Amino acid sequence: MNSQQCKVLVIIPAHNEEQNVSSVINNLRRKVPEADYVIVNDCSSDKTGEVCRKNGYNYIDLPVNLGIGGGVQAGYQYALKNGYDIAIQHDGDGQHDPAFIMDLVTPIIDDKADIVIGSRFVTGEGYQSSGIRRLGINFLSSLIKFCCGVNIKDVTSGYRLVNRKFIQIYASEYAQDYPEPEAIISAAMYGARILEMPVVMHERTYGTSSISALKTIYYMIKVSMAILIYRPTFARRYL
Amino acid sequence: MIPLVLQLASLVGILIYFAVIFCLLKRQFLLLKYTLMWIFSGLVMAIVVIFPGLLEKFSELVGISTPSNALFAALIFIILLILMSLTSIISGLSTTNIKLIQSVALLEKRVRDLENTQTVAKQQKIV
Repeated sequence: MNSQQCKVLVIIPAHNEEQNVSSVINNLRRKVPEADYVIVNDCSSDKTGEVCRKNGYNYIDLPVNLGIGGGVQAGYQYALKNGYDIAIQHDGDGQHDPAFIMDLVTPIIDDKADIVIGSRFVTGEGYQSSGIRRLGINFLSSLIKFCCGVNIKDVTSGYRLVNRKFIQIYASEYAQDYPEPEAIISAAMYGARILEMPVVMHERTYGTSSISALKTIYYMIKVSMAILIYRPTFARRYL
Repeated sequence: MIPLVLQLASLVGILIYFAVIFCLLKRQFLLLKYTLMWIFSGLVMAIVVIFPGLLEKFSELVGISTPSNALFAALIFIILLILMSLTSIISGLSTTNIKLIQSVALLEKRVRDLENTQTVAKQQKIV
């Protein structure tokens, strides 16, 4: 498989990102013109949908707010139905830089990895998140390593690339509430080769993150429990 | 032994319980497969009321000194089981709901794209 034959889709989940979505798309078109994209407008209450329609963007409009998990999953279903070989998760808030896509996609095209995760912590450049959050991320990372043996540093990174096999898997089952760490475990249980590659992330330009300070505690407890429970309740399946 | 009046009152209560289930089923406000657990717990209650000796034996068996406490414990346990099965039903519903929302969104997108290409084609014809 070479890069010309590969159909690549960038999935951009967006919830109330009216100020960011245009710059994300312009950036993407400029830096990776050969990739298709789809915006998943997760029932935004601001003008995200209107911005998409006016500018003629390629977008899916969810009629009900599903949260990041359900939104991204809709993107994977779109990728599956339209025969894409590689799907890329790319946040709609301007944190991710599309310039890295060309580097990140290589291991999948060469069939050296099933999933590539763009990580802030490999080289430690760019936006590193606050100290407390990093502590939480490190904790989740060790928990995942303990539960299924994969060593991923940036477990909450939403910058991910997956091949056809995992487009299929994620289209049919994907964790719903705070899906990033859980998706790593489920991938590991399906025997994925997961690769972590360095990227530089920016602080979001406008708006607020979907995870506020109070929610962070709830997030940590919930995700930790989900990780611990996942392994024993998952009957190892092979595709 | 429990007094006969209490036994009769309990029996009437259980009859009302079954009548309500029957009515709801008849009006199709309940699906039969979700009613089975309620019918089952009603049967357990009926057996306990008709043969109160069983309750005393049961409380001795599990080491609860007063039969009424054993009854409460058993009741709470059954209610917990029913609640758990309700959670599992809701989980199933929410999964199918998410799948439905996603497929509606994808279909809406397909319709929108088709309409766009049609209007473009029409405009080209007019030109």
